[in-house]
Amino acid sequence: MKTREQRDLFPGALEMMILRTLKRQALHGYALAQHIKRTSNDLLQIEEGSLYPALQRLLKEELVKAEWGVSSTNRRVRIYKLTAAGVKHLEHEVSRFEKMLEGITRVLAPGES
Amino acid sequence: MMWLKQLFSRRRLYSDLSEEIREHLEEKIEDLVAGGMNRKEAAAAARREFGNVSLTEESSREVWRWPPIDDLLLDVRYALRILRKSPTFTLTVMLTLAIGIGGNTAMFTLIRAVLLKPLEYPDPDRLVSLSLKDFRQNKRDGSFTLKRLDELRASSESFNAIGAFLKLPENISFSGRSQPEALVGARVSANFLDILNVNPLLGRSFLEEEDAPGAPPVAMISASLWRRRFQGDPQVVGKTATLNATPHTIIGVLPENFAFPFVGTDIWFARPAEWSVIPPGARPHVTILNGFARLKVQVSLQQAQAELDVVNRQYEVANPGRLDAGPGVSLQVASLKDQFVANVRSTLWILFGAVGFILLIACANVAGLLVARANFRLREFAVRAALGAAGGRLVRQLLVESLMLAVAGGSIGLLLAKYALYAVRHFAALQLPRIGEIRLDGMVLGFTVAVTVATGILFGLFPSLQVSRRDLTVELRESGAGAEGGASARARILGIHARGVLVVGQISLSIVLLIGAVLLIKSFARLRSVDPGFQSSNLLTMKITLPPTRYDTGQKKSAFFANLVQRLYLVPGVRNATAAMSLPTTKGWLGTNVLVEGQPIVDGGKQPTARLQSTTPGYFRTLGIPLRRGREFTARDNSPDARPVVIINESFAQRFWPAYPLGQDPVGQHMREGIDKTDWVEIVGIVADVHEEGLTADPVPEFYVPSVVHPPQTAYLVVRTQGDPQIFVNALRSQVLAIDQDEPVSDVRTMDEVLEATLGQRRLTTVLLGSFAGVALLLAVLGMYGVVAYSVAQRTQEVGIRRALGAQQADILQLVLNQGLAVALAGVGIGVGAAFALTRLMKNLLFRVSATDPATFVTIALLFMFVALLASVVPAWRALRVDPMVALRYE
Repeated sequence: MKTREQRDLFPGALEMMILRTLKRQALHGYALAQHIKRTSNDLLQIEEGSLYPALQRLLKEELVKAEWGVSSTNRRVRIYKLTAAGVKHLEHEVSRFEKMLEGITRVLAPGES
Repeated sequence: MMWLKQLFSRRRLYSDLSEEIREHLEEKIEDLVAGGMNRKEAAAAARREFGNVSLTEESSREVWRWPPIDDLLLDVRYALRILRKSPTFTLTVMLTLAIGIGGNTAMFTLIRAVLLKPLEYPDPDRLVSLSLKDFRQNKRDGSFTLKRLDELRASSESFNAIGAFLKLPENISFSGRSQPEALVGARVSANFLDILNVNPLLGRSFLEEEDAPGAPPVAMISASLWRRRFQGDPQVVGKTATLNATPHTIIGVLPENFAFPFVGTDIWFARPAEWSVIPPGARPHVTILNGFARLKVQVSLQQAQAELDVVNRQYEVANPGRLDAGPGVSLQVASLKDQFVANVRSTLWILFGAVGFILLIACANVAGLLVARANFRLREFAVRAALGAAGGRLVRQLLVESLMLAVAGGSIGLLLAKYALYAVRHFAALQLPRIGEIRLDGMVLGFTVAVTVATGILFGLFPSLQVSRRDLTVELRESGAGAEGGASARARILGIHARGVLVVGQISLSIVLLIGAVLLIKSFARLRSVDPGFQSSNLLTMKITLPPTRYDTGQKKSAFFANLVQRLYLVPGVRNATAAMSLPTTKGWLGTNVLVEGQPIVDGGKQPTARLQSTTPGYFRTLGIPLRRGREFTARDNSPDARPVVIINESFAQRFWPAYPLGQDPVGQHMREGIDKTDWVEIVGIVADVHEEGLTADPVPEFYVPSVVHPPQTAYLVVRTQGDPQIFVNALRSQVLAIDQDEPVSDVRTMDEVLEATLGQRRLTTVLLGSFAGVALLLAVLGMYGVVAYSVAQRTQEVGIRRALGAQQADILQLVLNQGLAVALAGVGIGVGAAFALTRLMKNLLFRVSATDPATFVTIALLFMFVALLASVVPAWRALRVDPMVALRYE
């Protein structure tokens, strides 16, 4: 069953954002959600829950790993970290995305004669 | 293998996930509360922003799933639950399938071991049998004279080597160590192991010079005898064993389960033609040797046959007038395996066909049950479909259920087959060749698995197709009181239709089996009613083989038997006693040339032959063979200096005095044995015919001589007793030992047992096919009953309306019966047609019954119609008792 976000964003976009965020620092699910919301200035309408299937996919492909730990607010949380494969995958995805974006931008650019 | 690891660690993954999501929500709520919201609003907001929790969990879990396996496991778990809920149904189906699959597994194992697998010798395709056939008369059993075989060896070039073995096993007395024992012995040419390409377990094989007359006595023994009588002594080679009163040097031990040329052989001698039964002078000229050979690598069977045809023609030209050179006599080469299994081939295939039918019938039955069940479960399917199950998913669910039933049935069937095969291996009456090779091996397991899966799909397909074809939403909308009330009218017709087809199939298969079985039973009854020509009750028989070394003259032999018979008369309760060269109904053709005085000597193969029997006086009285004319042998006839006399049977009389019983009286005429013998012998009596060669074979011309004329080396004692013959065994045995301490007695049987043994294989085939047919009939009747009963149950309302509208009981009865009879009629028609085509395959298993015996066909067809009527009457009666008011309120 496909989730709504995947239909709204392009496939892999959410994963890419998660990887990018985790590259900067290891985070647990809630913090991750808040961070993405905040940095996108709430432009992206993402249900917080949709993070979890994406995280499971990344876990399965071993691009991230998770460990139970304790957060700054003293909660038992599961903290996600990028793996080496995750770093590589992110680079690859980002460059792919940039190429795609460039293509789209060119098509959308007005008045080229 | 990643997915496998994940499959097992999933439970933890899932609980981690749930906990994580719970924590996420709590953290969010606390954040919001800290931001000034009250707890209730915060909880709602948190959930709103998070989205559907269970959907999130679901799709998160889905990431880890490996759909094909997961769905299958789910289906299996669901099927288990469903099957457990109706144990009677499950058990019935499992047992039905177990019988079907078990029977097929057992029969396949037999067919494979006996008929299909190559002989267990190296390069078995090149092993061939050689035989001498005569197409003019079926008398020839394929055996050669030593002379003919020697000539063949010299003239043919297709074979690496030609070997021979004495066509019948011999009884060998083994004495010297503890009590004397009678063993099965075989006489083979010295090269037999070279041809088979088998090495002895210990010691060596025979040497070429050991095949020559006068060579020192040597023997090979079986591995089982080696263990039993020599305690597996590794030094056994070179030791001596007293066999037939002659010390023999043991030169070798044969490998475990070595069963050439006969199953159960314990002793092998060289010089195959030295049969103690035949006087030494006659040995080169008697057809007692079976030939076998190994084809040269570059020679095909056809090429070998072509060469033999040429060799045979040359022999014919060079030996005009010889019995084995006449026109119509041909040399045949065939695969040795085919020759070995010739007597059971058609029986095994027919039984295999029968169990195949049983399995098909069982499948039809189970499919019928499943279709009925599927109808009852339509609501369940409709609900599942409404909840999002795709049609394919439902079909798969049904197939998984039927496959699970099949697998369960197959497992039980395998167990059944194992025990059935154990019984077969220990059931001597089957006379099965290659019995030691019967094994449940990987190939058989593969067969069982294939049959099981095919079965599961076959009977699972019907209900699945039915479900997939239906518009399930109709079921939901229609849902009435009873589950089956939900079936739409169209579907109802479909359901009956599918089951009707199944039942027609079942009935026709059962008819074929039943007709086949009845033909066999009829043959058996006709066979049993054949008068063997003697009174078999209260007769005890035993076999005695005199060792040729101690009983080296005819006088000693005949004196032993005369003496013994005299002593037997002294045993209280013995009414008559005699000794004879062979037992009636047991032996094949043992003929010799005869010449009747006044008839011309005819050329070559046309010289008439007759069967020879040598007996002590009292033979006819003891066996109860009626004397037609003249007199029996007297004690005087059996004395060494007596004037030789002969008694003939009625076939003999008719053969040479065609007018008999009118015309010239054969009694008082003269005949002689062979052509060259000079002495004319007077015929002193005529006795009634006896079925010497088994009940299926017609009596042949036969003549009897006193045992002093042809003193047998091996003879059978026959004693008529007062009351149960079994209690005389020890008394008689002690009389034998009183004359000769070292003389073993073997084959102690009553004459009834002897007769029974000749029928053993036939009886077993009849019993097996009969019980198969019984099972088939039962299944077909059940299937038929099920169809009619089901349709009656579904038409309760209709019946009620009809009754309310004034239909008479007879109308209702007819309505229901018509349906049953229509199905039965179709089944009977197809079945009788199929039987007509198939029973001719079993022609050679029948005896005095035509393969298309009209009486049998008509009887069985009528029987089936009657049974069908019965199976319909019960539900019809139930329909009659329907109260119109209840029926109308129904639903």
